[in-house]
Amino acid sequence: MSSQRAWTLLVCTLLVLLPFGLSDFWIFIAIEVLAFALYALSFNLLLGFGGMLSFGHAAFFGVGAYSAAIFFKRSGLDVVWMFTLAPLVAMAVSATAAAVIGYFSVRRSGIYFSMLTFAFQMLLYTVALKASGLTGGDDGITGLKPPGVLGQPLGYYFYALCWCLPSVYLLRRLVLSPFGLTLRALKDDPLRVQYVGVHVRRHQWAAFVISAGFAGLGGALFAFSSGNVFPSWLNWTASATPVVMAVLGGVQSFYGAIVGAAVYVVLEVMISGKTEYWPLAMGIIIVLLVLLMPTGLVGRFKRAER
Amino acid sequence: MSTTASPFVLEARGISKRFGGLQALQNVDMQVKPGEFHAIIGPNGAGKSTFFNALTGLLKADEGEIHFDGRKVSGLAPHQLTRLGMGRTFQITRVFHGMTVLENVQVALSAHARQTWNGWTAAGGQHVARGLELLERVGLAAQAGRTARTLAHGDKKRLELAIALASQPKLLLLDEPTAGMAAKERLASIQLVHQVAQQLGVSCVFTEHDMAVVFAVASRITVLHQGKVLAVGQPQEVRASALVQQVYLGEPVAAGQAGAGH
Repeated sequence: MSSQRAWTLLVCTLLVLLPFGLSDFWIFIAIEVLAFALYALSFNLLLGFGGMLSFGHAAFFGVGAYSAAIFFKRSGLDVVWMFTLAPLVAMAVSATAAAVIGYFSVRRSGIYFSMLTFAFQMLLYTVALKASGLTGGDDGITGLKPPGVLGQPLGYYFYALCWCLPSVYLLRRLVLSPFGLTLRALKDDPLRVQYVGVHVRRHQWAAFVISAGFAGLGGALFAFSSGNVFPSWLNWTASATPVVMAVLGGVQSFYGAIVGAAVYVVLEVMISGKTEYWPLAMGIIIVLLVLLMPTGLVGRFKRAER
Repeated sequence: MSTTASPFVLEARGISKRFGGLQALQNVDMQVKPGEFHAIIGPNGAGKSTFFNALTGLLKADEGEIHFDGRKVSGLAPHQLTRLGMGRTFQITRVFHGMTVLENVQVALSAHARQTWNGWTAAGGQHVARGLELLERVGLAAQAGRTARTLAHGDKKRLELAIALASQPKLLLLDEPTAGMAAKERLASIQLVHQVAQQLGVSCVFTEHDMAVVFAVASRITVLHQGKVLAVGQPQEVRASALVQQVYLGEPVAAGQAGAGH
């Protein structure tokens, strides 16, 4: 336990010191990692712990980003209230969307669950594309850069960190709690879980809603960092990102998704700077990593440790 | 109907179930008294599994009523039946393979304690003593830290029993508790169940193929044949029934094991 505490302290210290050693460009990338780590982590709560493969998780990242953006444009609050509330609004709206979508989706399991999440996501994608009065349609919503110190990469990095660290802590506690224990059991055998007295669908639904809330937070944090939101964030291709991140890091491990997100984002930046065929290179690297390390980077590392 | 004290812990009245053109169950009755060790037997296709699944809420009967512990429970979902005190195991063992043996039991204990909505407290330290006590009862305490996947088949069956017991059931329903075991293991296995059930005062209903197993522990037997109750009674009555012998017990093994365990 105490070694775990030491690790936590070390990682937190490194995260605080990190941006001071980075250029503005790389701080921007680090912010992206934070936002996507949260997104991947929330996704893996479903896949790695609950055994539920959501093909439509971009919906919640996107809904979070859009609701934060719309809140930013329309609420007219001063900057302190704005940036205190916007992420919470994003979480609430994403969770609400997930409450509806999840209500229907958890009625099916396996591939049918995945296809339902996929369908609902495409529905929301269409809304983002067509409801231009609210969402700006094709053009998305731009001009979301926060004013003042939050507009600076360093300032925004710490702002994002302030949201991410408590979120990771909460998710970690959730995974280790009786709720998380039940979720892990669900992954192994939902029928057996019914026969220990658990309302399985309700439990899956709750996990779905919680997961979407944190995905929405990731979306909001990323929206203010990149300064805009586009409908493509809700497109089905965007739903592949957290899948790849989680698998890359290792779905069995809680922190795997974070490592996967970091590796994915940094690789993407490095390769896309070199060649316009970066998706090809990225694809090859991912295939190789998955073939060589089926349990992911963290899984591989853990095995080597033993 | 009423919730006044019923002499039965479980009572099925007129259960019928049809699958397309197949009448799987037809007007099946069964009564289980507290403390009974009640076997459901019958040839393949007799409707044992269908009946079993109807009793445990996995399958909805077309007709009939099920009363458990003095209340009508037909139509209730599995998790509701479990909360009322009905535990079950499966013919093909169902445990949580990715978790440790102790965690398997902790899942059930934490559900029984209604803690599954607790998303804050660490679960690892909860119900450890009670979990180990249950594992001790089924002879798995030494394996508590192992991943369930690595257990031998018989040990998985015992683990599933421990999971079922963790919900403190009044009635335990075991679907083919000795399925997939070697002949030698079976008797020991059912005797363990019998012993644990008696220690804890749990009534038991089980389906079983192996007549040696049935006659070793059953205090009462319901014989199903082609979806109907062919006979009900104490083991010796059932064994003596000409009708039962004709359709089912004609096999020499039944006679050879006569009276075992009584």
